Amino acid sequence: MKKQLALAALALAVAGTASAQMKPEDAIKYRQSAYGAMGWSMARIKMNVEGTFNKEDVIKSANVIQAIANSGMGSLYLPGTDKGTGWEATRAKPEIWTEKEKLGKAATAFNKEANEMAKVAATGDAAAVKAQFGKLGETCKGCHDDFKAKN
Amino acid sequence: MQSKRIRLWDLPTRLFHWILALAVAASVASGQVGGNWMEWHGRIGLLVVGLLTFRIVWGLVGSTYARFAQFFPTPGKIKAYLRGEWCGEGHNPLGALAVFGLLGLLTVQVTTGLFANDDIAFTGPLSDLLTKGLSNQLTGIHHLLTNALYVLVALHVAAIMFYAHAKKQNLVRPMVTGWKEDGEGESARGGGFVALVVALLVAVAVVYGASGAWLPPLPTPAAVETPDF
Repeated sequence: MKKQLALAALALAVAGTASAQMKPEDAIKYRQSAYGAMGWSMARIKMNVEGTFNKEDVIKSANVIQAIANSGMGSLYLPGTDKGTGWEATRAKPEIWTEKEKLGKAATAFNKEANEMAKVAATGDAAAVKAQFGKLGETCKGCHDDFKAKN
Repeated sequence: MQSKRIRLWDLPTRLFHWILALAVAASVASGQVGGNWMEWHGRIGLLVVGLLTFRIVWGLVGSTYARFAQFFPTPGKIKAYLRGEWCGEGHNPLGALAVFGLLGLLTVQVTTGLFANDDIAFTGPLSDLLTKGLSNQLTGIHHLLTNALYVLVALHVAAIMFYAHAKKQNLVRPMVTGWKEDGEGESARGGGFVALVVALLVAVAVVYGASGAWLPPLPTPAAVETPDF
C-alpha cells in the first residue's frame, strides 16, 4: 500500500515536472507558430472571398483555425513568458497573466467564432463565409487590442 | 471698421472640412470594430489622403482665408491674440494652431496607416514595401496617435462651443454657408477654377501613389505551379 502510494506520488511528480519542463523559449515558439498558421489560414480565406471562391480551400483553412482555437493554447502561456524570444521577441503583454477574466472572455469569443467559421465554411456559401470571416477577425482583434504589444 | 457681410470660406474649403469630419468619424469607427470593416478603414484612409493633399495645395493656391500664409500662427500673433489685441478675419492664431495640429496629426495617421498591418487579415496598401518589424512599429504609432486625435478633436469642438456660448460668436454657420455676417475684413478672393483643378489633380495623383496600385502584383498560389500535397 505504502509502496503504491509512493509510486503514485512519484508518477504525479514526474507528470508534474514533465508539463512544467517545457522550455519558455519553446512555448513562445509554439505560440508564434500557431498564430502564423492561423495567419496563413486567414489570408487564404480572404483570398478566396476576394478572388475565385474555392470551397475546399476555405474548409481546409477554417479547420486549421478551428483546430488551433481548440488546442488549449493557454497552456503555452507559462508564467514569465511575457518576456523572452521564440522565433522573435514575444509580444505577449503582462496583462495576460493579470486580467484573467477579460482574457477569458476574449478567448471564448474567439473560440466560438472559430467553431462557427468551420461550420459556415462547410456550407460553401461565399457570402456567409465572408460575413463570418469578418466576425472571426473582430474576435482576433479582441485579444490583440489588450493583450498583444504592437511591437 | 464697420462690420459687413463677407465671404469667408470658399466652397472647396467647406466641402473639404465637412467631408474630412465625416471621414475621420468613419475611420475611427471602422478601425475600432475591425473585421471586414477594415476594408472600409483602408478606403476611407485613401480618401483622407486625397482630402489632406487637396487642402495642402489649397493652402497655397486657394482663396484668401484658406491660405496657410494668411493664418500661419507666428509667436507674435499668438501673443497679441492672448492679450486680446489680435484683430483679423479667418482662423485666429490659436485656431490656426489647431488647424495645423489636426492637419499634421492626420497626415501622420494616414501615412503610418498606409504601411500598417493588423496581424489578422488587413495590411495597409504600401506595407509590403517595409519589413514586418518596421510595419509593426508604424502600426504602434498609428494606434497611439488615435488618442491624440481624440484630444485634438475634443479641443476643436470645445473651442467652437466656447465661442458660441461665452463669446456669442457662431463659427459653425460660416463653415456651412461660407458667409460671415459681421465681418470686419475683406471678402475672400482667389482660388479660381484653375487652382481648383490643380489641387484636385495633385490630390488624385497622391491617392494613386498611396493606393499601391502601381506595385507589382504578388504571385497568387492558384496562378503558379506548386507541389501537390
